[in-house]
Amino acid sequence: MKNKTFSAIMLTAVGLCLAVTVAHLIYAVYAYNHCSIIYFIAKELW
Amino acid sequence: MKKLIKQVLAVVLVVALFACFNFGMYMLLTRRLANNFSGANQAQMIDVEKYLPHSPESHIPRINSSFKLTDELPVLDGAAALVPVYAAVIENVYPEGCVKFEGGEFSSDNFYGENFSAESAMQYKNTVRGYKAIVDGDTDILFCASPSAEQKKYAEEQGVELVYVPIGLEAFVFFVNENNPINDLTVDQIRGIYSGEYTNWSELGGANRIINPVTRLEGSGSQTAFESFMGDRKIAKKSPLSVTGASIGFSFRYYMDGIVGNEAVKMISLNGVYPNSENIQNGKYPIVARFYAIYRSDNKNKNVPLLIDWLLSEEGQTVIEQCGYVRIN
Repeated sequence: MKNKTFSAIMLTAVGLCLAVTVAHLIYAVYAYNHCSIIYFIAKELW
Repeated sequence: MKKLIKQVLAVVLVVALFACFNFGMYMLLTRRLANNFSGANQAQMIDVEKYLPHSPESHIPRINSSFKLTDELPVLDGAAALVPVYAAVIENVYPEGCVKFEGGEFSSDNFYGENFSAESAMQYKNTVRGYKAIVDGDTDILFCASPSAEQKKYAEEQGVELVYVPIGLEAFVFFVNENNPINDLTVDQIRGIYSGEYTNWSELGGANRIINPVTRLEGSGSQTAFESFMGDRKIAKKSPLSVTGASIGFSFRYYMDGIVGNEAVKMISLNGVYPNSENIQNGKYPIVARFYAIYRSDNKNKNVPLLIDWLLSEEGQTVIEQCGYVRIN
């Protein structure tokens, strides 16, 4: 694979992953402020 | 060929790193965030349909009340935790047909799935919107815990005087996950947790995990009761990392135990006293809150004071007790 092609593929992959992660973070912050705390604590990992 | 394999591996590695981060965040946080109108959370909230008056399937106490209303029915509304109480009042005192429930679809426009028609004697707006409704004159009697400073201010701004009649007692409780080894804390330790003095459960004899002190929606009955409990102690700002720790939350006892009944959380004792009915009534449990029937002092409905008197009578107090709360008289 040419370096130029590789860079394009890598940039696209990083861009897509970043977009998904940022969307996930935004959803988590919003949902944390609107969630049921009983449910939140009940689902805690131990 | 070798170069191609390295390039492909590099792309896969980057994608895998992002996937791991997102999976970790999902397991630690996102999967626990059921919002108030999600399907998962409806089961955790009060299902108003279970408490509809004059319905044989309803989970509300029935006594042979000597007091009956036939006309000028006061409109009743209240907090989620007190739905069983005011539904039981309607069941035992109001005539059949006065409650018009039109289904309970949960959505962003219908946050609590209330869907009572405007002419229904029973409404359900919960604390924040309930206080607004009583001040605005949309409700005759509101069943709630003490108002927040903002709710008092709103009444003052509107030139409305509210009358607060204590009708029952309820414990303010703290709870943790059932697997958290902590079963008992002192009042000072809890204030210390929320003021930032303790940040790890090991400092209190528990597991080596960060403490996540959870609070609730501003203006809700339990948040107002919590702020009153903290008194002069300032509530500390949490570290963002605390969401990955082991949480502590608060609520009113019956909402936790009787209405939501989630077995994956447990109430903890305070100063060695567990919040059961006996310890609330005998005053041993250290944080007992009153709940109120609230009405506008200029309310002209002649049945409002009659209903308040009945709530404080033996019959009214029996209904409150049979709903799972602690009588005040």
